[in-house]
Amino acid sequence: MDLPLILNISILLTLTTIITPILMPLLFNTKNSPSIITLAVKTSFLTSLIPMTVFLHSNLESIISHWEWKLTTNFKIPISLKMDLYSLTFFPIALFVTWSILQFATWYMTSEPHITKFFSYLLTFLTAMLTLTIANNMFLLFIGWEGVGIMSFLLIGWWHGRAEANTAALQAVLYNRIGDIGLILCMAWLASTMNSWEIQQPLSPDQAPLLPLLGLILAATGKSAQFSLHPWLPAAMEGPTPVSALLHSSTMVVAGIFLLIRTHPLLSTNQTALTLCLCLGAISTLFAATCALTQNDIKKIIAFSTSSQLGLMMVTIGLNLPQLAFLHISTHAFFKAMLFLCSGSLIHNLNGEQDIRKMGGLQKTLPTTTSCMTIGNLALMGTPFLAGFYSKDTIIESLNTSYLNSWALLLTLLATSFTATYSLRMTMLVQTNFTRTPPTAPINENNPMITNPITRLALGSITAGLLLTSFILPTKTPPMTMPTLTKTTAIIITALGIILALEISKMTHTLIKPKQNTFSNFSLTLGYFNPLTHRLTSMNLLNNGQKIASNLIDLSWYKKMGPEGLATLQLNAAKTTTNLHTGTIKTYLGSFALSILIMIFSTY
Amino acid sequence: PQAKLISLSSLILGTTLTISSNHWIMAWAGLEINTIAILPLIAKSHHPRAIEATTKYFLVQASASTLLLLSSTINAWLTGQWDITHLTHPLPSTLLTMAIAMKLGLVPFHFWFPEVLQGSSLTTGLLLSTALKFPPTTLLLLTSPSLNPTLLTTLAILSTALGGWMGLNQTQIRKILAFSSISHMGWMVVIIIYTPKLTLLTFYLYTMMTAAIFLTINTTNILKLSTMMTAWTKIPPLTATLMLTLLSLAGLPPLSGFLPKWLILQELTKQEMTTTATIIALLSLLSLFFYLRLAYCATITLPPNSSNHMKLWQTNKKVNITTSTLTTLSALLLPLSPMILQSP
Repeated sequence: MDLPLILNISILLTLTTIITPILMPLLFNTKNSPSIITLAVKTSFLTSLIPMTVFLHSNLESIISHWEWKLTTNFKIPISLKMDLYSLTFFPIALFVTWSILQFATWYMTSEPHITKFFSYLLTFLTAMLTLTIANNMFLLFIGWEGVGIMSFLLIGWWHGRAEANTAALQAVLYNRIGDIGLILCMAWLASTMNSWEIQQPLSPDQAPLLPLLGLILAATGKSAQFSLHPWLPAAMEGPTPVSALLHSSTMVVAGIFLLIRTHPLLSTNQTALTLCLCLGAISTLFAATCALTQNDIKKIIAFSTSSQLGLMMVTIGLNLPQLAFLHISTHAFFKAMLFLCSGSLIHNLNGEQDIRKMGGLQKTLPTTTSCMTIGNLALMGTPFLAGFYSKDTIIESLNTSYLNSWALLLTLLATSFTATYSLRMTMLVQTNFTRTPPTAPINENNPMITNPITRLALGSITAGLLLTSFILPTKTPPMTMPTLTKTTAIIITALGIILALEISKMTHTLIKPKQNTFSNFSLTLGYFNPLTHRLTSMNLLNNGQKIASNLIDLSWYKKMGPEGLATLQLNAAKTTTNLHTGTIKTYLGSFALSILIMIFSTY
Repeated sequence: PQAKLISLSSLILGTTLTISSNHWIMAWAGLEINTIAILPLIAKSHHPRAIEATTKYFLVQASASTLLLLSSTINAWLTGQWDITHLTHPLPSTLLTMAIAMKLGLVPFHFWFPEVLQGSSLTTGLLLSTALKFPPTTLLLLTSPSLNPTLLTTLAILSTALGGWMGLNQTQIRKILAFSSISHMGWMVVIIIYTPKLTLLTFYLYTMMTAAIFLTINTTNILKLSTMMTAWTKIPPLTATLMLTLLSLAGLPPLSGFLPKWLILQELTKQEMTTTATIIALLSLLSLFFYLRLAYCATITLPPNSSNHMKLWQTNKKVNITTSTLTTLSALLLPLSPMILQSP
């Protein structure tokens, strides 16, 4: 059997199956429907299992290059698709998750009049994301990058009659754009220095200059919501839950990290860039975890946990372990999507209620959803042998055993314990204790459209870690020996977080009233970041602009120094000299005499 | 009529005497004759203002002549000769410069000039500004090698400046013309040490242009700025040519007033006096402003629309042939500049 042929053909078939529901209505005027789209994605998933199996069997990588854009005679951009570990593994995972989400969305969005358009948007998004993944050159990657950005805008602002949704969509686009500047910077540098945008062109063994790497890190910061460009991710929860599940948990936000994984050979030579990634990731993860502690909206808690996990992925990149980062991407996709779908089910069942202080005791009424949510939270926390364990624990082990910045280490550990805390808080407030929901909510799980996707993803959360680590050969030797304390650091920290959460929840029964203090304020207002940056910078800019335009230009140049100044000067001179000419001859003659005397004495 | 004949002939006699003299006493005598002869002309209208103008004129000119005599006497005492061209000692030459400045109306001896001009009629004013400036200029030309450059340059710059600033605030046309005359004197004096020929050229052209203006406003009988705005109804083409003449006085390029200014600036830069050149040029911008204002009032405001008040139509008034000749000349002489430069 000709394995390369099978690989290439099945990948192309997958892509074609995805694109078909978008192209068919355009070309042949056939009608789409949600079930057709779901079917298409399911078929693609099954098809994409073939190349992945081929790869796992024989470690066969392949690159397809099609026709070329010739910009100039020596700068050619082919459409080249690279099928290696990352793209071949990502395809099935992404398609699996998308299939489950689409199935869920057919139940979630049934009352939506434009449901077909919604599904087409989701499909376009998926296409862009897959293009990004499989791209072999920066041009195709950029196409995918921009595609996911635009689709994110359209999907977040899906309910565009709502003002907050529009603001959130704009925020997403603006922050992404700032990141895009970095990407374009790197592309320009690559084009001018290496005369090619292919990713497999390695640089010379000595250090790559810092500038393109900074560009890449900026791009990842924007797309993956690292610390300074992060406010768009919690705001993006304004979109419908399937959107949050697809974009902002599994696929789009990992695009930034994916870019860094792809360009890893460039990064690994420059220690400064690696340290930057490390510290940035550590700050992001801790900041997001802190903010998640006092959130009351269930979707925002999950959004912040996504942000925190993205920071963790960035930390892994900073540790020079791209494969591990990719592993974390894959496992994270499963349980995060599942968490979002569970929360979607909760919200719809409680008739639009998103505040966890108004949920409670749902374990008995929504057993499947809540059990899967518990599984997801446990996987997120890194419970041994669930999916999250394989990636998260390994990251923390490598962090502990490598020779690096101990401050980053400390922050990451702290964030891990916070993860446990807020996950437990969410679980407890939602599921246990007495009911706090209004009694008229129609709570049921009868529709298989809800339960099937969620259970499927739960299965994935449990087994994916094991499967992925068994079948993928690591390129770097993982740390094998370490002291017992170091090995069990992650678990101990998580356990500490759980115990803390339990203690605090017990305290809520006995304390009188929760007081405001500085820490809770910091966490509540997301670290004061949003108002500071959004208002201060824009106000300063506009003020300065006004000052320059009206004060400097109009007043100073035109009035004082320019024409009017001259005019007033002459006017004053004219008035002064007119006053001199009084008309009295005696004065005149006297001045004549005086002038004569002065001149004689000065010249003599 | 008879008095006029006597006065005019005395004027001609005095001027000729001064121009052609070699001895200081003759020069002084000629100047005195001029002073006395023009007094009745100024006081012709018996208006109190005219009488006042006459008095002022007499006082100033008398003191100027006295100074002149003093300077020539000192020179005779110091060097023993009365020759005009040999006035070499610094003291008498300074005194002489002062005296002539007083006669010409250079700053700081210019205070009499606007009032005198305002008090006299337009024709007398013409005589005052042009003819009576000729003898003192001649004297200055004759003694030019021995004069003090710094003093002259200071006088020139101050004259241009003051002429500009004062002229901005005037509404009476005769006063404006007085100040314009002061500025032009400044221009003339600045180049006298280096190229006396240019002084003479400036003087000729200035005389021509001022004569054209005086004759024009005499024909249309304009005395004030406000009168000027309705003067176009009297003889419309005349106001158009008046505009051109005014702009020529200002020194705008295609017209002949540009010629002296250009040549003077060129000479100054050749003598490495670029600062002076720049300053004079900038200051004459001020006078350009009020010339423009005059031109604007005369021509651009009202015609050819009809106005709402009583017009002064005097369709049969003839323009003097002299007026038209002088006006044309003053506007169009620039292309002839090479020929002018070659003549002394």
